[in-house]
Amino acid sequence: MNYIMIIDDSPTIRTSVAYTVKDLGCEIKQAENGADALEKISIIRNEGNDVSLCIVDVNMPVMDGISFVKEFKKNDKFTPVLMLTTESEEDKIKEGKTAGAAGWMIKPFKPDNLKSVVEKLMV
Amino acid sequence: MASKEDCFIVSVTGDCMLVCLYENKIRFGGMCFVIIPGSFGTENVLTSVLASYGITQIEMLLADIVKFGGDRKNLTAKVFGAARSNIYSDGKNLSSSQVKFIKEYFESENIPVTSSDLGGDYRRKIYFSPVTGKVFKKILKNNSESSEFLRMEKEYIDLVFHNKDKIGTYTLFDGDAANDI
Repeated sequence: MNYIMIIDDSPTIRTSVAYTVKDLGCEIKQAENGADALEKISIIRNEGNDVSLCIVDVNMPVMDGISFVKEFKKNDKFTPVLMLTTESEEDKIKEGKTAGAAGWMIKPFKPDNLKSVVEKLMV
Repeated sequence: MASKEDCFIVSVTGDCMLVCLYENKIRFGGMCFVIIPGSFGTENVLTSVLASYGITQIEMLLADIVKFGGDRKNLTAKVFGAARSNIYSDGKNLSSSQVKFIKEYFESENIPVTSSDLGGDYRRKIYFSPVTGKVFKKILKNNSESSEFLRMEKEYIDLVFHNKDKIGTYTLFDGDAANDI
């Protein structure tokens, strides 16, 4: 079974992202920060399942989105990570790219855009 | 904007809402201007980009609070505004839908609203102390100055509607696959 991991400290955003990508053939798993996500990804993989994509906010307590990407990419170079954030500064976007993110989308997102970007990244 | 300075963040609201968030543990906070541009419930955040636009201003303030070391689990909110100014000749009433939306939003985010003053047909001037979380409020009279203010606020709300096609841009990083829309 493949999962899309949604990582955001806002329950409202997590719910709206989950609703948008629910029909793309993957199970959905939610986490409220980077550390919570790493733990849940480890459990998913230990159970013999896999993660097809992570959708990650940038500014979160405990472990922020950029730190998550750096940590996640240490052991997994291939699974794409899409940043979904209110941050639009060029330097921050470059930081995300350098960390290993596959894309950067600025909130608020258009559901159709998010769906098509997720489909592109999971090919 | 969020701040740890011993100061007042001051703004005036008519039809729009001012949201003050306070981090009770680290003791600082911030204030933002919010407009929900239409008759939405929080369920519409799932499908409508305009509804989700409404919460983005709060999201940006929450992001600032996290950057200062805060945690949304320690937050309380105070909300003011959503007046009924009758500035729309077509009878569009943003007030009741905004009040409903903002209450539902904070419920779903598990952020307690400790104080609110919403509705009415008058402007409010709000003074927010980010280090104490206290708010002082002044009701402004409906005079010639208020009609000028409401005209400017209507322009702002209309701008939110008109700019709806520019939101939600994205970039893909890999090689030639970069997309900017």
